[in-house]
Amino acid sequence: MSVQFTLAWRYLKGRGLRTLLTTLAVVFGVTLIFGLNGILPPLINAFTRNLLSTAGKIDVSVTSSFSEPFSNTVLDEVARVSGVAVATPEVQRIAPLPQPSGATAANAVAQLNVIGVDPGTAGRVRDFPIVAGRALSTGDGNVTVLASDLAAKLGVGVGGTIDLPSSVGSTRFTVVGLLSTATLPGAEQIFVPLASAQTLFALGQRVNAVEASFLPGVDRAAVESAIRAAVGPGYQIGGLSTNSSLLASLQVSTFAFNMFGIFALATGGFIILNSFRTVVAERRRDVGMLRAIGATRGTIVGMFLVESVFQGILGTAIGIVAGWAMAAGGLAALSPIYESIVHVKVGGPEFSAGTWAMAIVLGVGVTILAAIVPARAAGRVTPMDAMRPQLGEVYERRIGTRAWIGVGLVVVSVFCLATRQPGLVGLGAVVFLIAIALVAPAVVTPLSDAFGSVIELVFSEEGGIARSNLQRNPGRSAITVTAVMLGLASIVAMLAVVTSIFAGFIGYIDKSLSADYMFIPQSIILAQGNVAAGPRLAEEVKHAPGIGAVGTLRIAHGKVAGAEVQIIGIDPKAYPLVAHFEWNTPSTDQALTQLSSGRWVIANGLYASQNNLMLGQAITIDTPNGPRVYHVAGVGNDYLNAKLATIYTSQDNLARDFNVTSDVLIMANRTPGSDPVLLRKKLDAIVTQYPAFRLYAAAEWRDSQLAIFNQTYVVFYVLIAALALPSLLALVNTLAISVLSRTREIGMLRAVGSTRRQVRRMIMAESLLLSVIGIVFGIVSGLWLGYALVLAMSSIGWPMPYFVPWDGIIATIVIGLGFGVLAALVPARNAARMNVVDALHFE
Amino acid sequence: MAIVETKALRKVYGEGNAEVRALDDVDLSVEPGEFVAVMGPSGCGKSTLLNMIGGLDRPTSGGVSIDGTDLTALTDDKLTELRRRRIGFVFQFFNLIPVLDAVENAALPLTLDGDPKARDKARTWLEKVGLGDRLKNRPDQLSGGQQQRVTIARALSTEPALVLADEPTGNLDSKSATEVAGLLRQVATDWGRSVLMVTHDPRIAAYAGRLVLMKDSRIVDDVKLDGHPDAAREAMERAGLL
Repeated sequence: MSVQFTLAWRYLKGRGLRTLLTTLAVVFGVTLIFGLNGILPPLINAFTRNLLSTAGKIDVSVTSSFSEPFSNTVLDEVARVSGVAVATPEVQRIAPLPQPSGATAANAVAQLNVIGVDPGTAGRVRDFPIVAGRALSTGDGNVTVLASDLAAKLGVGVGGTIDLPSSVGSTRFTVVGLLSTATLPGAEQIFVPLASAQTLFALGQRVNAVEASFLPGVDRAAVESAIRAAVGPGYQIGGLSTNSSLLASLQVSTFAFNMFGIFALATGGFIILNSFRTVVAERRRDVGMLRAIGATRGTIVGMFLVESVFQGILGTAIGIVAGWAMAAGGLAALSPIYESIVHVKVGGPEFSAGTWAMAIVLGVGVTILAAIVPARAAGRVTPMDAMRPQLGEVYERRIGTRAWIGVGLVVVSVFCLATRQPGLVGLGAVVFLIAIALVAPAVVTPLSDAFGSVIELVFSEEGGIARSNLQRNPGRSAITVTAVMLGLASIVAMLAVVTSIFAGFIGYIDKSLSADYMFIPQSIILAQGNVAAGPRLAEEVKHAPGIGAVGTLRIAHGKVAGAEVQIIGIDPKAYPLVAHFEWNTPSTDQALTQLSSGRWVIANGLYASQNNLMLGQAITIDTPNGPRVYHVAGVGNDYLNAKLATIYTSQDNLARDFNVTSDVLIMANRTPGSDPVLLRKKLDAIVTQYPAFRLYAAAEWRDSQLAIFNQTYVVFYVLIAALALPSLLALVNTLAISVLSRTREIGMLRAVGSTRRQVRRMIMAESLLLSVIGIVFGIVSGLWLGYALVLAMSSIGWPMPYFVPWDGIIATIVIGLGFGVLAALVPARNAARMNVVDALHFE
Repeated sequence: MAIVETKALRKVYGEGNAEVRALDDVDLSVEPGEFVAVMGPSGCGKSTLLNMIGGLDRPTSGGVSIDGTDLTALTDDKLTELRRRRIGFVFQFFNLIPVLDAVENAALPLTLDGDPKARDKARTWLEKVGLGDRLKNRPDQLSGGQQQRVTIARALSTEPALVLADEPTGNLDSKSATEVAGLLRQVATDWGRSVLMVTHDPRIAAYAGRLVLMKDSRIVDDVKLDGHPDAAREAMERAGLL
């Protein structure tokens, strides 16, 4: 074995504690990267399976870009395209099943995907392997076929019935056949005749999908583009876009999780950098001797790099095992929550080749990278260093070009923040972290002076020595501070996102709704594409004795200058009675009255600022019925849609131009003096006819949302703890190293009369000072990162306002200081217990 | 042919007002098998001279040759190779690798050179310096004198032409110091290496066969010693260095 391997191995073995601390840094980073990437794919896959589970021979699916039903003529246009073997019309809608109040059972069927098919042609694009009863046939009425396993779950057989909610209340379907296909949890499908589905969802002669299969051997891309040309704009080919916002939010999670993993590894990188720097300083004389007796620079650099490779490989291997365990444990904890929210069953952890590659490359790579600079420094140690007696390390304070580059980067990052563009704010946050890492060595001394006086209030005698210990190697202190900062920043960022999600929802409920009762589709997240209620439900509610004002929301989608926008239909008179707008000056409630007088819209703040809208300005909206010119009556926000480009118009306009007449949300107020118990009974009676909707008193709904969030919080806390560990390790590592390298000095302090307690408190004070500086940087950059993440989530369809996590900041300060104390315990005890004579002779 | 040959050797540190002349026109030659002690007050340039001869530092002007090779003409790699193969070093602070045992430490220059018999050779030398029963001990399990013996074995393991010793007894008690000094004399007389030793201690210098006295960066005297314990002290008195 070469001398580098022997030396590297012996040093690692001979300095066990140090090796352990350094290796642990790699372990944590790899665990997070590997583990989190093992958790997300099953979640995303489960969800995607749910979305794209259209079985059979369907080659292409044509749907409306506006998520609107469309005329049957599209079917002919698709069928005429050369290369298409067969095209068949379909209606696909999700129908929620009534759930017992408070039910969260994972495997209960919460909704059915009702697929209305043309019995004549459907068999040519879909498989219907019948195991009992018969298939659908032309002329069938309200009958259905479904998979036998689903039927078993629903407790029905051939001849049994299923009640489906519809825009007129509820419709009963008779089961005529069972299929042998397996049902994916969350993708429960039942097939009904097209005409029945059209009646069920009040679509008239319209359909909302055309499925086609291609002739064998055709150029698929060519046929797809021919279909695109044939149907014209306003249709999307192939993609199923329903529920894509939840999928998008999962993808943001992937990004966020990876970012946190990389953060943890970067923290690990700084720990390793610190370890190796100290190791090189400590072994200066050894290295000098090796150079003197004939070791080349290459041999020396190689020796340190081999050490880092050993640690990288070991740390990565342990990290992968721990990551696997974390993923398995995490999924076990997450699946019940996930299943109760989106009703999708989640499998075990999945690790793609990319995850393996990323964990290994980053784990080993970061370790080697962090060791390169110290290793090169070691290579430059001259043989003369072997001759000199070893002195305590004191580094000159230099504010070099690196610090100035850091200052420049701070300016750049602030500029990025000011743009409020998600991408730039995110970039700015990362640039800011790099900037801090560069500036830290220069500012650690003045900052420790500033905070030192606070620390010295508690540690009056030892604080001063602690401060100068910290200041005499600003490089090492800065690296520790950076590592602590990275750890705490990810905690703060995570808390900012969680708080924003949480506070955003609660804020919406509290501020936007002055309604006492709400009729809401079963899962608000899955509201898109759900059955909406026809105007009758709102009418019935309105006529219930004791009900005052009733307002409803309707949703349509349109395009302005090619960009999608959601259009919310409100009743301008009723809406202000149950909810309200926060107006941007100079808009007032006057805008609401204007909505009633023609094609007027209210734009929300985001949409108005993106498009530089002015009051009175004309905008052309592409509607299912062609382009229509609207004018801007006002700019204002409701909290639900504050972060999503939204325009509001009257429900009359929505009906005329977007063909939307059904309600997705109904809000109602109780008149003063009415009996709440009686009223509730009456409303309960009404809602039972509409299984798609659930009735909530506003407070109940708030509580039900809180319950879901509280469950989710637990998962976040586990993750936060995992993120926090590397920064604790960084502190322990630095302090342990700093105590080791000062053994002889500590011996001297003891010899000249310091008590054990004073030595202990000196180390403790240094640790606290380091953590305080790390906490300050960590909070600032964490808030920034959190803001970037919230913006990023908003930009891809999960709108939320940004909230500063005050509780989280206090928690971070407490955690940071706690870590400061915790990290100092062992090194301080070791320092205090040191034998004075041994310490004085320590080499 | 002389093993060590320096010609008008000069070393200057710093520039302008901060200029320090550490060596000034030093001419010195050491013959094969000769044991030379260098003495002088602190800061007179002894260690600098040793560093120049050992190829650890480069002279400002003048020449150094070891065993006929001009060091000033060598690249860093060639110089490293020469140190590895032709020169042995003994340091005041031993400078043993704490995580290696005695054999591994003594074998280090040979291991660096890729010699497959490194450990056997190291073992032989450790036995010769009287550490046959301590082969597996790490430095922290050895006394100061024993550690210095390991460094002497390490210095000799490559069969070098020259052994350089910088204050080899400076960190030892007097008993160990005289043992080490005796061992260094044996290196020259019995094993035929040239030894150049810098020391502060006249009793240790008296073990050498020749004494070079330095003052103010120059050689001020160069005398033969007769092995008498007081010989070095008397030579210093004559040169006005005591």
